[in-house]
Amino acid sequence: MEIIDKIGKLPDIVQSFAKRSKNLFPPIAKDCIYRLLVNKITWIVVAILLLPCVLGVVIYFQTDEDRQVRESNGEKVYYDEDGDLIHEDAREEFLNIFDLFVISFVAIIMAIIFSSELINEEFENKTMQLLRTTPIHPFEIILHRYLAGVISMFAILGLNAIIFYYAVMMPSGTHGILENLDVLLMVLQILLFESLAFIAIFCVFTTYLEKPYLVGIIYWIVWESFVSTQNYQQLTITHYLNSMIFNSTKAMGWDVQASDFNLVNSNEEILATEPFTAMLIIVVIAILSLILASRGIANRQF
Amino acid sequence: MNIKLEQVTKNYGNVQGISNINLEVSRGITGILGPNGAGKSTTMKIILGLSRPSRGRITVNGKNPFDDWELKKDFGFVPEYDCFYEHMSGLEFVCYFLRMHDFQREEAEKRAREALTELGLEEAMERKINTYSRGMRQKTKVARATVFNPRVLVMDEPFQGADPTTRMLLMKKMTEWAENGKTILISSHILHDIQSLTDNIALINNGKMLAHGNRHEIRNLINIPRPITIVPVKDGNLRKLAKRLLDEKWTKATSIDEDTNELTVETTQTEDVYLEIPKILQKEKITVERIYSEDDSLDSLYAKLVEGHQWK
Repeated sequence: MEIIDKIGKLPDIVQSFAKRSKNLFPPIAKDCIYRLLVNKITWIVVAILLLPCVLGVVIYFQTDEDRQVRESNGEKVYYDEDGDLIHEDAREEFLNIFDLFVISFVAIIMAIIFSSELINEEFENKTMQLLRTTPIHPFEIILHRYLAGVISMFAILGLNAIIFYYAVMMPSGTHGILENLDVLLMVLQILLFESLAFIAIFCVFTTYLEKPYLVGIIYWIVWESFVSTQNYQQLTITHYLNSMIFNSTKAMGWDVQASDFNLVNSNEEILATEPFTAMLIIVVIAILSLILASRGIANRQF
Repeated sequence: MNIKLEQVTKNYGNVQGISNINLEVSRGITGILGPNGAGKSTTMKIILGLSRPSRGRITVNGKNPFDDWELKKDFGFVPEYDCFYEHMSGLEFVCYFLRMHDFQREEAEKRAREALTELGLEEAMERKINTYSRGMRQKTKVARATVFNPRVLVMDEPFQGADPTTRMLLMKKMTEWAENGKTILISSHILHDIQSLTDNIALINNGKMLAHGNRHEIRNLINIPRPITIVPVKDGNLRKLAKRLLDEKWTKATSIDEDTNELTVETTQTEDVYLEIPKILQKEKITVERIYSEDDSLDSLYAKLVEGHQWK
């Protein structure tokens, strides 16, 4: 009976939660985004992210004269010395470099830094104690910080993806840039889901552990880098992100194999998850992580 | 609001924070007194629901503050330590926490301005907190804790780092708030701060509640003779008076200081002494300048308790 009563009250709870969130989110988001943006480490990461972009521009100017241009339906289409379409190679370069450098490396480091700044810093500065003396629920404490973290991470990495895309696709001209926007959109989608998943997971670490940085890095190396290539890779976020990339590139007509994304087991059987299922699992993992993190805050004693 | 701690014990691993604390706090000001590390902050954290007792029971209006989030609408907390978002201005900081209490932006800003102005921060409220002096920080903490008009105010060492003007202002405000029906719990290791605010005192040392009540009640719990000093107007009466007082059953000992012309009687029955001495003086025709007991002050009680005197 009690459970039925609770379920009956759910719409009211959701409505009241949404109403409170409208008031709570703006000041929390403003504070969190400010803290993330003035953090020196954020700017070091941004500088690291810009390096490949600069490299792309340098390569463009060095190889500019080797390009051949042909008119097709009033558009300029660029080819390389061998007569191949530049944008077809460029889009693969963009995806490969971005996947290897940003999706598999910088984004995870950034999620560790952001979740630590958002939650752990509040424990260290003891502002969390003040928050715990207010009527704000632990889930609200974590949720609004998490959303601010996701917005910041997605904005920085998304902007970087756009700049990097432009830098890599420049040799293929306007035609090449517009022709492959679906690759950019796919990358943005991956970044969004990656931000949703990893910030939530690292928020759990920061609420339960004294040294979230260290554990986060161990988790990344052992779990997301090693286990994600093994038979039980469905237990990792990387598997679902790779599945999304694999399915999307296949749908775009690229010649890709599941093994290119480590989506096979030791018997060479394909393990790729359907894109919609992959997205759903990531969202569920994020929600469960947030609930777990909010329990961590609720049970934390000062 | 009724706050009740029953046999509350809190351990941090092998270290004992507080042990078997019984305390009931109701409207008005209650002072928690004890040296550093006595367990004052631990007691306050348990009341605020920041910490769960290892044993025993804490209730605020019958509810457990650790699990009841709604209850926290009624709590204002001034922590001992600095805990600010240093990049915010005083106004933004107070506003931020008002929003956590569900106040809309305009209302929050209006209230925050009023609270900070009331505490003398009208000039500084727009400045970043990282430029504030200790006194300003203390006022900002108090403004944050009181701005939403909580029913319970828990103030951990609220006068720490405050200059005399700030101290007096805070004391005045606390008295006002208490008169307005708030339940105020103040901890301090500075006796005079507590003494000038309230007579309702809980003494804590080494995690144990030594006494709770007004200072006379607490004094009566101490099973050691208490000195009462008599200063006669004329010299030469001292010996006569000392001899006479020694005949009384309530006198444990007498001592004379001829330099200052003072006679001190040690007794465990204070009330009898205060009743009987005037009669004796009248009978012996001795005029006195004054009769006093320094031992009535909180300083001496505190010293005795913390030094570990025996209890009845």
